[in-house]
Amino acid sequence: MPVHVRHILKAALDTVVQVNREKATGMLDFELKELENIFALLILGGFAGLPSPPSPIAVELLPYMEKELTILLSRTDLSQDPLGVLMGMLEID
Amino acid sequence: MQNTIFFLGKGGVGKTTLSSAFALTLARSGRRVLIVSLDPAHNLGDALRTSLNGKPINVEPNLDALEVDLSEWVDKYLKDSREQLKANYSYNMALNLDSFFDILKYSPGTEEYAVLWAIEDVHCTLAPQYDYIVFDTPPTALSLRFLSLPAISGLWVAELAKLRERILRSRQTIVKLNPTSPVAESCVDKEDDRVYGKLRSIRERLAMLNTLFSKHSFISVIINPDELSIFEALRIKDELTRLGIPLSAICLNKQGVSDAEWHIDPKLSHLPRFTYNFSRDGIQSRDDLFAIGLEPLMHQFLHEKESKR
Repeated sequence: MPVHVRHILKAALDTVVQVNREKATGMLDFELKELENIFALLILGGFAGLPSPPSPIAVELLPYMEKELTILLSRTDLSQDPLGVLMGMLEID
Repeated sequence: MQNTIFFLGKGGVGKTTLSSAFALTLARSGRRVLIVSLDPAHNLGDALRTSLNGKPINVEPNLDALEVDLSEWVDKYLKDSREQLKANYSYNMALNLDSFFDILKYSPGTEEYAVLWAIEDVHCTLAPQYDYIVFDTPPTALSLRFLSLPAISGLWVAELAKLRERILRSRQTIVKLNPTSPVAESCVDKEDDRVYGKLRSIRERLAMLNTLFSKHSFISVIINPDELSIFEALRIKDELTRLGIPLSAICLNKQGVSDAEWHIDPKLSHLPRFTYNFSRDGIQSRDDLFAIGLEPLMHQFLHEKESKR
């Protein structure tokens, strides 16, 4: 088999594998984002009236939570349509 | 080893007087002693007839004293966190969060934590230079709150650590299935995750303080011959029992100050009790403090320390 054909086949196969990997981890990604969101909410919930650890503990953790804060803010944007997000995730039109 | 002594009780029962008399008694018996006032309204310096501040000051041979400045501790802690935040966050977010720190000073719980940080600092950095540390505490409400914080906050931190472990496990699974996932850029290992590391360090600090309070401290409650201070002593005992912190002795101060009837509750009567008479001439000097006569309490403390060894 010519080399360039072998390359094309390998690239096609890699793409199929990657697509399947993305599909396999899609739900886990969604769950992970939710867990990170909950973690940020638990730490910073005191500022919004939710039960939370004593604020000095939240302050000690805050400097290391930039990523979680970003997720929290993006989740806030999506909170207007949580069902839409879930349906999109499950690929239901 | 039991080398920390706390005096608790209702406001005005004589905590500062008896704790400074106790520290003087230990120091004059040849032990190196540091007495620390945790009360935001300090009067330890007045009792010892010496001007004090946040650093140990020598009062007399073998006796040093300091008055913890709680607002200084709050400022230091918030400054450290603010600097850490600025170092770790991107410019925009740091700018938005920075404004929070100005109000956090007044957040509920901050003062109680400041007391804990001060005790931790004394325990870790100053205690090795002394044989004994005597704490003169604030009135009951604040004292009970800081004594209960390690146990309560410990529960929170343990739950947060569990959730963090779950997040890290999820990240590991995703990265294993899909090594090119953006999740691979985050920390997947407990050892590398700074949030988990911070939670672990907070948990260790709280556990250390909890052990200090429950196993290595001699806690004495001061009462006066009146019902109010005895009711408060009962509340202190109940709360400390709930937290697993044992009470070691009861000090009845100002005996003879009034002829009103009173009786000690049976719940407190099994504890070793030491009585100190009301001094009509007042306490004018350190020798007057020493003359109150706290040797029996000191012997009880040393005996309990030996039996726990």
